Amino acid sequence: MADDIKDKVKTDVPTVTFTMDGQEVTVAKGTTILEAARSIGIHIPTFCWHPKLKPVGSCRMCYVEIEKWPKLAVSCVTEATDGMIVHTESDKVKRGRRATLEFLLLNHPLDCPTCDQGGECELQNLTFEHGIDDSRFDFQKNRFTSDTDNTVFDDKRIGPEIILNRNRCILCYRCVRANKEAFGEYDLGVYERGNIAEINAAPGQQVNSPFSGNLPEICPVGALTSVDWRYKMRVWLAGKTPSICPYSSSGSNILIYTDDNKNLIRRVTSRCNDDIDDGWLSDITRYGYQIANSEERLQTPLIKKEGKQVEATWDEALEVICNRFKEITEKKGKVCIGGLISPSLDNASLYCSSKLFRTVFNNNNIDFRTDYRMLPNKPDSYFGMLCNRSFRITDIDDSDVIVVLGSDLIREHHNEYLRIRKAVNFNNARVFSLNPYSVKSADVAQAEIVYNIGTDEIILVAIGLAAIEMGLVEQGLAQGFKEKVKLGSLAEATEVCGVSSDDVKLVARALAGDGKVSVIVGELITRSHGREAVASALFNLSRLLGIDKKGQMAVLARYANSRGAEKLGLLPIPTGAQVEMLKAMWGKFPDAEPQTTDAMLALMHKEEISGGLVLGGNPIMLYPDRQFITEGLEKLDFLVACDLFESETTELADVVLPMSSWAEYEGSYVNLEGCNQVACQAIKHIGQSKPAFEIIRLIAEKIGTSLFESDEQMATEIEQLLSCEPDNATPDNFVDVLPLSEEVDPDFPIPLCICDDPHHTGALTQKAPSLTNFTGEAYIEMSPDLAARLEVSEGQPVRVESPVGKIVMPVKVSKHIDNDVVIIPRNFSQIRVTSLLMRKKRVDRVRITKVDE
Amino acid sequence: MKEVIKAVGHVFIKMPQGLLVTLKHLFKKPVTLDYPRKKKPMMPRYRGRHYLERYDDGSERCVCCGLCAAACPADAIYMEPEEGEHGERRAKVYEINLLRCIFCGFCEEACPEEAIFLGQEYEFAADKRNSFLWTKEDMLVPHPRKDNPFKKIIRRVRKVYGVTEQ
Amino acid sequence: MILTEESVRKIKEKLQQYPQPKSVILPALTVAYRQVGYVDADIYREISHIINIPTVEVAEAATFYTMFAKKPRGKYLIQVCHNISCALLGADSLIGYIEEKLGIKIGETTEDNLFTLVTVECLGSCATAPMMQINQDYYEKLTKEKVDQILEDLRSKA
Repeated sequence: MADDIKDKVKTDVPTVTFTMDGQEVTVAKGTTILEAARSIGIHIPTFCWHPKLKPVGSCRMCYVEIEKWPKLAVSCVTEATDGMIVHTESDKVKRGRRATLEFLLLNHPLDCPTCDQGGECELQNLTFEHGIDDSRFDFQKNRFTSDTDNTVFDDKRIGPEIILNRNRCILCYRCVRANKEAFGEYDLGVYERGNIAEINAAPGQQVNSPFSGNLPEICPVGALTSVDWRYKMRVWLAGKTPSICPYSSSGSNILIYTDDNKNLIRRVTSRCNDDIDDGWLSDITRYGYQIANSEERLQTPLIKKEGKQVEATWDEALEVICNRFKEITEKKGKVCIGGLISPSLDNASLYCSSKLFRTVFNNNNIDFRTDYRMLPNKPDSYFGMLCNRSFRITDIDDSDVIVVLGSDLIREHHNEYLRIRKAVNFNNARVFSLNPYSVKSADVAQAEIVYNIGTDEIILVAIGLAAIEMGLVEQGLAQGFKEKVKLGSLAEATEVCGVSSDDVKLVARALAGDGKVSVIVGELITRSHGREAVASALFNLSRLLGIDKKGQMAVLARYANSRGAEKLGLLPIPTGAQVEMLKAMWGKFPDAEPQTTDAMLALMHKEEISGGLVLGGNPIMLYPDRQFITEGLEKLDFLVACDLFESETTELADVVLPMSSWAEYEGSYVNLEGCNQVACQAIKHIGQSKPAFEIIRLIAEKIGTSLFESDEQMATEIEQLLSCEPDNATPDNFVDVLPLSEEVDPDFPIPLCICDDPHHTGALTQKAPSLTNFTGEAYIEMSPDLAARLEVSEGQPVRVESPVGKIVMPVKVSKHIDNDVVIIPRNFSQIRVTSLLMRKKRVDRVRITKVDE
Repeated sequence: MKEVIKAVGHVFIKMPQGLLVTLKHLFKKPVTLDYPRKKKPMMPRYRGRHYLERYDDGSERCVCCGLCAAACPADAIYMEPEEGEHGERRAKVYEINLLRCIFCGFCEEACPEEAIFLGQEYEFAADKRNSFLWTKEDMLVPHPRKDNPFKKIIRRVRKVYGVTEQ
Repeated sequence: MILTEESVRKIKEKLQQYPQPKSVILPALTVAYRQVGYVDADIYREISHIINIPTVEVAEAATFYTMFAKKPRGKYLIQVCHNISCALLGADSLIGYIEEKLGIKIGETTEDNLFTLVTVECLGSCATAPMMQINQDYYEKLTKEKVDQILEDLRSKA
């Protein structure tokens, strides 16, 4: 469907034909000369023009000569018209560009030796190219002086990770435009005018958005530089390795700069891929690499001896693992070993783990969803169907209607958030945000619907009912839809959700229209108990309004390789096709009862599973019931944990194996749209660490079975599994929506949401110093109204109690929240957030009291 | 017989002749130097050991820009930058491996801050390989060069930078 | 709150007159400037709250326009023309004289917060040069004596 629309658009667009440097060029009407030139490979120098931003024409560097025009034209804002004759390299053009450069250099300090941009500076390159070696300007240069010590050395921090030097600025406005246009942030501005115009942070604000790291990268000169890269090394000395972000599920393409002498990663920049990341990186992607350089990395295997973990060699550790696993299997059978695998690992590691458990241990006790609550043990649920639908990131760009359900995109899917902004800016898309609390990423939304927490499926039902009431759907379909829902009318549904019916009607009308639709379902749904109900409600809505036929709807994968894990069959219950394929490859498939994370933990409590393998990740910190998982893992006879760092989970382990970070070996990752991308090896292994897949293979070999005959065999098997396309199945008819409602305990009235901080993801990023500069410790985010009622102000500690736990943490007041939901980030291990949670609850509720100092 | 006369002639004529040459040189200025005690003055453009210069206020001139290392054909220079007290860039590590150095003087030419220059000294003999690795401390010593021929250029550079001289 | 209720009401009224809140920035700044006499970061923040746009947009607009003073000015703003007609008839020496008399330099305010001296471009009264404008009034065909008299009058009035 999507392709049909695109083709239609393409054939309808009128074109213009003109001559550029003697070449005949035909482009779509409305294309600028600069874009046309780039499309045929003619290079026109620019400063202010950026491929992802609207042109402004402020730097005048992109001069071209157009015949019969009295003056040189600024090509980035001049539309190509029929019959134009353009010269991009004539003497007149060169003189014009030279003059522009001379003007730009009037006030530019020639401090290239101390400037971090030196070596990758566009101004430096163009000055060199045009051979300007002297200035005719004989007067004192205009200088901004430092606020503190009245010197012209004007480097100042305008954000946790950004340094501004106003003297070097050439006022191309790229940063300010990107900040406002692409990221929707208003913390950077241009002040004053003329000679003394300056870029600076907004009064009293810090440039600390989750995208702030992009600003130094797009700065053509050294006016904005990154603290992370400050005075580290010269760019020409750095080794560059193409890689993939190990944190974002969209798999942003990155370039890793390494110091090969010291075996360190020095920085990460974007490797623009229009289909995936659009050239923008979130700060998590940009600064998250720092965990690989951390001093705290595990260097050697550890074996627990008399209650203490002591350093050991690999041989010893593998020996112990092999013996203990053999012991357990002899005593209790092979089903007694369970595996929790991190979905941030590469395909090879995930596949090896799956093969180890299914062929060597001969069981189905393996899961990668360690932070979901109450996973069902039965196959073919509607939620599974929803997960297995295809989704394309680029299709967001030309969607007319985008519905985001249960996700604060800025905390989960940074790239998709920017895509949605782009769709709004360039395609006038209408965005609807449906969330239990008001989110910051809803600033682009046409309507933001805040429903009562725990009524996710009812809001979808309400949209369907609204469409029926407005007469937007066929009678037959309406009848089928109504039969399956318990609620009779729209009014009833909106009352349960606590929303206005006008807003719901707005969404219903938009979804029922002809435009292309993207429905995105986020983590608030996936991690919750109600995911099955939401999935069935969404399928009903899709059948009712035909969403399926005019767009895409998907649950976005959360981690770097969640999608890969699903495709490789790492779930306890792989799809039928996967089982067939695996059977054909392995010659067997275990018929043991499949066990999800929850079931495995329950069996650990019953001491039916007594051996465990945790590969990456830190389930104790992320599983939504800390007591349950801690007790479960403690009851194990033998636990092996592989990780980069010592964590709550490795503390319990009998053997801890040091794992290599993603930059230390070549691995491939499948992003949320199913695209398989390769991350190359950037640095050598730190200490004695080994890649996860190698660890698994070593364990298997020690036990006595070789998983693969050769590396090629592994590669072909993975390739074969990944070639399986999503089946896009939908239920054949309307399905029952079974809403889950809960009694509210009056003692614990305030609903709690556990999210990622916008600058953190999962459990590892707290080891990255740059990211902790943005947010270093846990906080409880609440509305100004609730804070006023609790008589607390920003930064004051409060006691948060749930029926199972109690923690104290400082308050953060967020103006955009307007109901009583509180949010706690889960990324900081010093505060045990998950100890407040109960896995059986759909909505966690807490009591908050002020701490008297 | 003839040979005898010839031999006697050699003893009484040729030998004194030879000794006369020696005698003459006793009173001539010697062409060799009494090396460790006396040293030959070098040509003004001779390129010897490296010095790093300081500004008049004592701060280091070198900003660790890496251009000398980039220009070095022998790959003898290694440096690591760091951030100074006031946020300025300076060298944390600056090493020249004199065993690799070919004393071409490219570093001096490449230096935009006029921080490094080659002096006249040429005595680096040492008995350990490690002592040929010269660090910042070895090079940031007072140097005998009285007048800096680059001073004029430096002043111009400083003007371009916007630093007004008092 | 620096802005009075009256000013806030006026700004909210302006909000009704324009299709976009962004258009209200300049009128709102004018209202604030009339009331306070200068604009600064606190005022930008207040205005941005009232018309609900980011502070940085207000700050950008306010700093672009030089006629919004960014710091407190004296009660009387002395604007002396220094363009060609006035300059030919001795504006420069007049400015020097005022500077000396008030003990301040161009752009500064006297210690008693009474006078602020600035130079301006042509005020369109070339026929009566040299001239200056104090607050909303023109003072023309100036001489040193006349300036003495004017400043004395203002000082006694204050």
